Amino acid sequence: MNVLMLGWEFPPVMNGGLGIACHGLTQELKNMVNLTLIIPQADPTSACANMQLIGLNTHQVRLELKEMWTKRIQSKDVYHTEHMLFPYKDADEIIIKQIESSETFYSKPAKESHETSSVSFENLYGNDVYQKVHEFASHTCMVAEKQNFDIIHAHDWMTFPAAVMLKEKFNKPLVLHVHSLETDRNGITSKGGAYDIEQKSMQKADAIIPVSNYTGDKIKKLYFIPESKIFPVHNGIEKANTYRKHRRLNEKVVLFLGRITFQKGPDYYFEVAKKVINSFPNVRFVMAGTGDKMKEVIESGAYSKISHKFHFTGFLTRNQVQEMLASSDVYFMPSVSEPFGLSAIEAAQFGVPCVISKQSGVAEVLRSSLKADFWDIDKLSDHIISLLRYDIMKDEMVKNAFKDIESVNWKDSSNKIMQVYNQIINN
Amino acid sequence: MTSICLYFQVHQPYRIPEYTFFDIGYKSNYEDDEKNKYIINKVSDKCYLPANKKILQLIKEHQGKFKVAYSLSGTLIEQLEEHRPDVLESFIELSNTGCVEFLAETYYHSLSFLYSKNEFERQVEMHQKKIEKYFNQTPAVFRNTELIYNNELAAYVEKLGYNGIICEGVDRLLGDRSPNFLYQPASTNRIKCMLKNYRLSDDIAFRFSDKGWSEYPLTADKFASWIHKTAGNGDVVNLFMDYETFGEHQWESTGIFHFLHHLPEEIMRHPDFNFKTPSEVLSNYNAKGEYDAHELTSWADSERDLSAWRSNSMQHNALSILYDLEFTILCLNDKKILDQWAKLQTSDHFYYMCTKYWADGDVHKYFSPYDSPYEAYIYFMNVVSDLQDQIDKRIEFEFSTTKTASLEMA
Repeated sequence: MNVLMLGWEFPPVMNGGLGIACHGLTQELKNMVNLTLIIPQADPTSACANMQLIGLNTHQVRLELKEMWTKRIQSKDVYHTEHMLFPYKDADEIIIKQIESSETFYSKPAKESHETSSVSFENLYGNDVYQKVHEFASHTCMVAEKQNFDIIHAHDWMTFPAAVMLKEKFNKPLVLHVHSLETDRNGITSKGGAYDIEQKSMQKADAIIPVSNYTGDKIKKLYFIPESKIFPVHNGIEKANTYRKHRRLNEKVVLFLGRITFQKGPDYYFEVAKKVINSFPNVRFVMAGTGDKMKEVIESGAYSKISHKFHFTGFLTRNQVQEMLASSDVYFMPSVSEPFGLSAIEAAQFGVPCVISKQSGVAEVLRSSLKADFWDIDKLSDHIISLLRYDIMKDEMVKNAFKDIESVNWKDSSNKIMQVYNQIINN
Repeated sequence: MTSICLYFQVHQPYRIPEYTFFDIGYKSNYEDDEKNKYIINKVSDKCYLPANKKILQLIKEHQGKFKVAYSLSGTLIEQLEEHRPDVLESFIELSNTGCVEFLAETYYHSLSFLYSKNEFERQVEMHQKKIEKYFNQTPAVFRNTELIYNNELAAYVEKLGYNGIICEGVDRLLGDRSPNFLYQPASTNRIKCMLKNYRLSDDIAFRFSDKGWSEYPLTADKFASWIHKTAGNGDVVNLFMDYETFGEHQWESTGIFHFLHHLPEEIMRHPDFNFKTPSEVLSNYNAKGEYDAHELTSWADSERDLSAWRSNSMQHNALSILYDLEFTILCLNDKKILDQWAKLQTSDHFYYMCTKYWADGDVHKYFSPYDSPYEAYIYFMNVVSDLQDQIDKRIEFEFSTTKTASLEMA
């Protein structure tokens, strides 16, 4: 079976969970199918064995693209697709210019060096993300002409227009993998923009793979997609070398890790911290990460009252994240809407008990954790205090969480995805 | 002649509410009144009332040849007193037929035998008084919570004056012997034990509506034919199960009441089979040999051991902390505190904390009012913290009044 996969982030060019998940999945899936992955930006040093990794930013691809586009425009062989999926209808004509210029997001050729810092995820998103999505679609269609594939598998809305174009052009079955929805990122009333792209693409897809039942349910209820097309597959995680680090102070640390954005529920984290700090001695709350909501929290009047026990770390490197996990007593993820929540699994790997919101996919996997609705400040606070008070329970939970996460691996996930492939190919 | 002995366990605990850290010191009600009331009403309507009605009808139809036994926990009777006197009335009506025997157990459906003989005896006595009050009979046969059993318990119960004790027929203790006889517990003189035939009991209690079971659907005549196969090779077939089997675990729509309705006639169709109460069985048959239970057994889960209540550290911790309070509480002699403490002993609280099969979301989860075993532990421990707090305050109060009194005397 030949699978053409479209991704947006891939290590080391990534911003969050999407890149990690794509990497983990492809590393298993490539042993089961012939896998080709097209991404906007590939780092030349991150070539993967046993799969074809095509970065649209690489010199070779760009030369080919330019040649193909020139031919195509000369022969007037330009095809169009739905307006909604393609907000820039006259974009074709400027594409050549974009390839030639150095303005677009993958037009900056990655340096042929081992220095990965030159490849920044910053320019994968940003204000002109819709245009990037459009460019990715048209260029991917070009590149795909030279590929032999039986299935198209696309990760998240940025690649969906490209995937739908491929399906329409080559008439191959389409699998959309949903790691995150616009309704997660911007609330359930989201309309237009990415929401429309998601909805229209999902309508056209043969199968949709959300990363949890939770997200599957959202796709059904907020995007009106029939359940028969939805096949939830939980994410996996790679095994980690974990350790525990003991602090000298007789204090407990409650950790928040992630982007400080609406979706991650920083307001709720703060409210819970306030409640716990005011009624329980020797506890510190650490908010690790950055994001647009951080300023809001710091500037709130209530912050100054607990600032002696409430800390921001700013952006942490991979090693610093591990250091943080190794020395935390409770991992607290009050996400407003979390399709999966890999960081909680990572915390469990480090033997940190988790308090997570029920509005998360990981709650389906990490059964040995304490859960409450993200808005239930009282219950979340009580859960945290219980973990701080009852060591016997904490130990029991950590022990059982290790068992829970045994089933969280990419091999099992890939096997389930194979079942989806087989089902839609046989239909 | 082979006798069928039916015994139904009827029990409801007082469930603890989601009692948080912030409630400690502020909220002295440890019962989830709303949930308890809801459940007692639901189970009364779905099971207790219709099942009692059916049993009464069968006793009348068979003119006293159909007999059953019940064990009603004290916590159930209290909840019926408060919310469903009609159900209590229907049990009294059954008792008046003379075909129904009530068994002895610990009032609070507790694990007290394992932690305090003193508390155990107190609860057995309390329970006896309650049964005497409503049913005008003194229990002569003992069943311990969840059929938890060993040699020591049998000997202890013999000393308390009981003729018989009910327990699980555990394969590893029976060896190739049949559970369909009375046995003499090791190191006892007089008492006999009645062993649950778990295969036939569980066919009704657990498998009745299981569509994946090769014997599905189970009809009364099919079941009776299995019973009849024991002819000549057994004195008594003990069918012991939760009463909630009828209408609650197996819904009415499964045909369970229909099954129950036809069971007596199908079984007695064979002239060598009859129904007897546990006391009648004990006076009619002799022990066939010795049943030697060094280890503790029960009727729970496939292990038939105590792991449902005592396998993880949370359960051990909760139990030991609770029973550590006994001495102080008895000294205080405060009725309310004693009652609160005793209700916390109900075995269900520890069952909810079981993590054994938690990951599979099995039967333990079905019965639990909480989201997880961890929450069961948290709310229980928070309540115990508050109880401890109350006790401390009382001691302080007693101490200060005694001091004042002695000062005044001086």
